[in-house]
Amino acid sequence: MESLVSIGIALLSAPLFPGIILKVKALFAGKKGPPLLIKYYTLLKLLRKGSVYSSTTTFVFKLGPLVSCAGGIMILLFFPLAAVVPVLSFHGDVLVLFYIMATGRFFTIAAALDTGSPFQGMGAAREAFFGTLAEASIFAILILFYRMTGALSFGEYFTGATPISLTGPSGALLLLVIVALFMVLLTENSRVPVDDPATHLELTMIHEVMILDHSGPDLALIELGSFYKLYFYAAFLTLIVCPLNPAGGLLNLPIFYGVLVLIYVTIGLVESTMARFQMSLVPKFVLASSILVVFAAILTMGFI
Amino acid sequence: MKNINDMIMVVILLSVLLSLASSRLITLIKIMAVQGFLVSLLPLLLEHHSSMGSGGLIFFQVMILTKGILIPVLLYVALKRIAIQREIEPIIGYHASLFAGLIIILLSVFITDRLHLAVPSGQELILTTAITTMSAGFFLMMGRKKAITQVIGYLMLENGIFLIGTALIKHFHTVYMVEFGLLLDLLVGVMVMGIILHNINHAFDDIDTDLLNRLKD
Amino acid sequence: MLELIFILPMLTGLVTLAVPPYLGRGVLLVTAILHFQLTIMAWLGKLPVYAERFFSETPEGMLVLLVTSFIFLCIACYSMRYMEETGLSNGTVFPGCMLLFLGTMSMVTLADHPIVLWIAIEATTLVSAPLIFLHHSKEALEATWKYVLICSVGIALALLGCFFITLSIDIAEIEISLSFTFLNQVATQLDPMWLKVGFIFVVIGFGTKMGLAPMHTWLPDAHSQAPCPASALLSGALLNCAFLGIYKVHTVMYLAGLGEFSGNILIGFGLLSMFVAGVFILRQPDYKRLLAYSSIENMGIIAFGVGIGGFALYGAILHMIHHSLIKSSLFLSAGNIHLGFDTKIINRIGGLIKYFPKTFLSFFAGFVGISGLPPFGIFISELFILIGAFQTGHPVSAILFMLSMLLVLAGAAQIFTNMSFGVREHEVLVRENVLRIVPPYILLLASITLCVWMPSAMYTAIMNTIKIIGGTIHG
Repeated sequence: MESLVSIGIALLSAPLFPGIILKVKALFAGKKGPPLLIKYYTLLKLLRKGSVYSSTTTFVFKLGPLVSCAGGIMILLFFPLAAVVPVLSFHGDVLVLFYIMATGRFFTIAAALDTGSPFQGMGAAREAFFGTLAEASIFAILILFYRMTGALSFGEYFTGATPISLTGPSGALLLLVIVALFMVLLTENSRVPVDDPATHLELTMIHEVMILDHSGPDLALIELGSFYKLYFYAAFLTLIVCPLNPAGGLLNLPIFYGVLVLIYVTIGLVESTMARFQMSLVPKFVLASSILVVFAAILTMGFI
Repeated sequence: MKNINDMIMVVILLSVLLSLASSRLITLIKIMAVQGFLVSLLPLLLEHHSSMGSGGLIFFQVMILTKGILIPVLLYVALKRIAIQREIEPIIGYHASLFAGLIIILLSVFITDRLHLAVPSGQELILTTAITTMSAGFFLMMGRKKAITQVIGYLMLENGIFLIGTALIKHFHTVYMVEFGLLLDLLVGVMVMGIILHNINHAFDDIDTDLLNRLKD
Repeated sequence: MLELIFILPMLTGLVTLAVPPYLGRGVLLVTAILHFQLTIMAWLGKLPVYAERFFSETPEGMLVLLVTSFIFLCIACYSMRYMEETGLSNGTVFPGCMLLFLGTMSMVTLADHPIVLWIAIEATTLVSAPLIFLHHSKEALEATWKYVLICSVGIALALLGCFFITLSIDIAEIEISLSFTFLNQVATQLDPMWLKVGFIFVVIGFGTKMGLAPMHTWLPDAHSQAPCPASALLSGALLNCAFLGIYKVHTVMYLAGLGEFSGNILIGFGLLSMFVAGVFILRQPDYKRLLAYSSIENMGIIAFGVGIGGFALYGAILHMIHHSLIKSSLFLSAGNIHLGFDTKIINRIGGLIKYFPKTFLSFFAGFVGISGLPPFGIFISELFILIGAFQTGHPVSAILFMLSMLLVLAGAAQIFTNMSFGVREHEVLVRENVLRIVPPYILLLASITLCVWMPSAMYTAIMNTIKIIGGTIHG
C-alpha cells in the first residue's frame, strides 16, 4: 500500500519539478518567471489538441511517444522512492530497466528518423552518440554498486541489508559517483551544458530537434516521459546523497522531496551559471563522468 | 572520522582528475586552491596527529593560508598580467590526459598494494592519493606547454610529496620550525617562478615553453 | 656560535638588497672577509654549535665550507672591478644575491637534519636564480627558467627521498630524533628497503642539482648565461653542496651495510656523466658551456670515486677540493676574456697570448690543471681514484673512466690551443686589470700548494671524513 501511495505521488508530482527549474532560472535572471504549475498547463493544453501526422510517416512515428512514456513509468515502478520498498523488484532489475530506458530512446530516435527530415536525423545521431557514451558511466556505476553491495536491483541498493550510504564503508567513493551521476543526469535529460531545452535554432539542438514533428497528445506523452526520466535520475541522486531508513515508511516522504527539490534547484543553478558546451566538447564531458566512476571502482580495490 | 578523511582524499583525487581535464588556466588555479586547502587540512584530521600542541595548530593554520590562499593568489596575479586564458594546444590532449589519469590511479593502487607498508591501518588510501597526485603533477609538467601550467604541475607534485610526508611519518619527527622552512621555500619558489614567468611573457609575448629553445648543443 | 657563519651573509645579503647600490661592493667584500674569518674560527673549534638538533660540525661539511668560503673571498675581490666594468654595481641584486647564495650554501654545509639540508639546498636554487637572470636577455630567461624548474622538481624528489629515509626509522621502530648523526649511529637497524628507495630518490634529486647526467640539462645553460663570478660560484661551490647531500646519505647507507648498492649507483651515474660530458665537449662552440660540461665531468669523477670507496674515496675528496679551486679560477679567467672580446664563441677568439698575456697564463694553467696534468692537484686525485678502482676490483669501470678522461682531454686541448695561439685580429674592449688577474692566480696557487703541503687540520678532516665509510690511504 505504501509503495502504491509513493508511486502515485511520484507520477503525479513529476511535472511539477521542471517548473521549479524554470522558476529558479527566471529568478536568477531577475525575472518573475512562469507559474510553478506551468508544465501541468502545457500538458493539459497539448492533450486537448489533435495530432497532425505527416504523410510520409508510418506507425513507427506513432509508437515513439508511447514507448518512451511507458519506459519512464516502468522504471519508477521498480525504484524505491523515498526508500519505500518498490512496487516491483527482482534480482537484476537494474539491467533490465536501463535497457527499457534505452528502448524508449531507440523508439524516439526511430520516430525521428521516420519523418525523413534532415534536422531530425542529425538530432537522432547526436542523441544516439551521447546516449551511448552516457551508458558507459551508468554501467560503471552499476559495477561499482555491485562491488559495494553485491546487489543488482534498485530495491536492494537502498532498502537491502547493506544499503549504499555516504557514511558506510568506502562511502567516500560515492562523492565521485554523485558528481558523475549528476553529469549523466544533465546529459541524459538534455540539460544545459550538454543541450539547451530553450534554444530556438534547430542546428544546435539535440533532443528538441527530434520531436519537432510531434504534436498534440503525442508531444504530451514525450514530455511526460522525459519528466519521469528526469525524476528518476534526480531521485537516484537524492537517495545517494541522503540515504533514508526504509523503516521510516511514508514519513520519509517530506525529507525525500525536500532533497529532491534541492537537486532540481541545483540543476536550475547550473543552467543559469553555465554556458552551453561546444558540441565537440560534449563527448569529453560525458567521458569524464564515466572516468570518474571507473576511478571509484578502481579505488574500491584499495578499500576492500 | 575515518570517513571524513576518506572523503577529503576522494575530493583531492577528483581535483587531480579535473586538473588533467581542464583547459582554462583560471579553473586550474581554482582547483589548485581547493587541493592545497584540502591537503593542508588532512593532517589535522589524522589520528596520529591528534596530540598536536598549539605550535602545530598555528603551523597548520599558516599552511592552509599559504597553500589555499596565498599561492593561488600569486598565481592568479601572474595570470592576470600574462593575459592568457587557456592552453590551446597541449602536447597531450585532454581526453588522453584523462585516460592517463585513470592509468595513473590504477598504477598507484597497484603500487600501494605491492608495498605492504606498515601504514597506520585504514590509511592505505593516503598513499594511493599521494602517488596519484605526484604522478599527475609530473604528467602536467610534461604534457602541457604553457609555463604556468608547469608551475601548477610542480605545486601538485609538492602536494603529493607533502601528503606522504605528513601521512606516513610519525608525529614526533615533525619539527614545526623545519616545516615552516619547507613552506617558506615553496612560497618563495612560486614567487620566483612568477617573476620569471612575467619576464618570459614580456620578452617573448607568450609563455609557451616551445619558445624557449635558444640554448642547445 | 656556529650558526653565525650562515646567518651573517644572509643578513648582510638582505641588507644589501635594501641599501643604495654604491654600498653593495663594500658590503660584499667585508662580508666575504668576515665569513672567511668565521670559517677559520670554526676550524679552530672556537665556535660551539647552538641549535644542536639541526646543525653540527661534520668533517665533510667543514671541508666544503672552507673551500666555499675561500673561493667566495677570491670571487668577491674579482667582483670589485668586474661589477664596475659590466655595470652590475648600479644595482643591488648582484651583491645581495651573491651574499644570500653564500649564506644558503654555508647552511648546507652545517646542516645535520635531512630536511634542514633540503631546505638549504632548495634555498640555494631560489637565491641564485636572480644571478643567472641578471642580463635579462632571452637566453638568460630560458636558462633561469630551466634552472629553477628542473632543479626545483629534482629537489622535490630529494625531499621524497628524505621522507622515505625517515620512514625507514619509523618502520624499524626506533625512537630517535631525525638527524644524520643519529642515523649513522642506528644505521644497522634501519629498514633496508626504504633506505634503498630513499637513497635512489636522494641521488636523483640532489644529483640533478649536482649536475649528474642525465639530469644535467640545466647546468650548461645556467653556467653559460650567468655572469662569470656567479658561474664560478655555481660551479665551484654549489655543486659541492649538492654532492654533500648525496654523500651524507651514502654514509648512512654504508653504515647500514648497503654500501655496495649505493656505491654501484654512484659509479653508474658517475661514468655516464663523464661520458656525456666528453661527447658534448668535443664539438663545443661556446667556451663557458665547455667549462660547464667539464664541471659535469668532474662531478661524475667525484661520484665515481665515492662509489668505488677505499683509496678512491680519498681521491674523490681531494678532487672535489681541487676541482673547486681550478674551475672557479677558469671561470674568472673566462670572465676576463668575455669582458675583453665580448663573445663566448670559441671560433671568434684567437691569439689570447698576444692580447691578454696574463689572462692567458691563468687560463692555460687552469686548463692544464683541469685536464689532470701535474703540477696541479687533480692529477693526484685522479691517480688515486684510478688506483682505487683497480684495487677494489673495478677494472672495467677504471678503463671506461680513462677513456672518458681521454675524450675530454682531446676535446678540450684543441679548443684551448685554438683560443690561445690561433691567429685572429681583435679589438680589445676592456684591458686587463690587476684585481681581475690576481684572484685566478691565487686559486691556482692554492691548488698547487695543497699538493705539496696540506695543513694538518685539513688532512685530519679528510681522514675523519673518509674513515667512517671505509676510506683509507694505506692501500
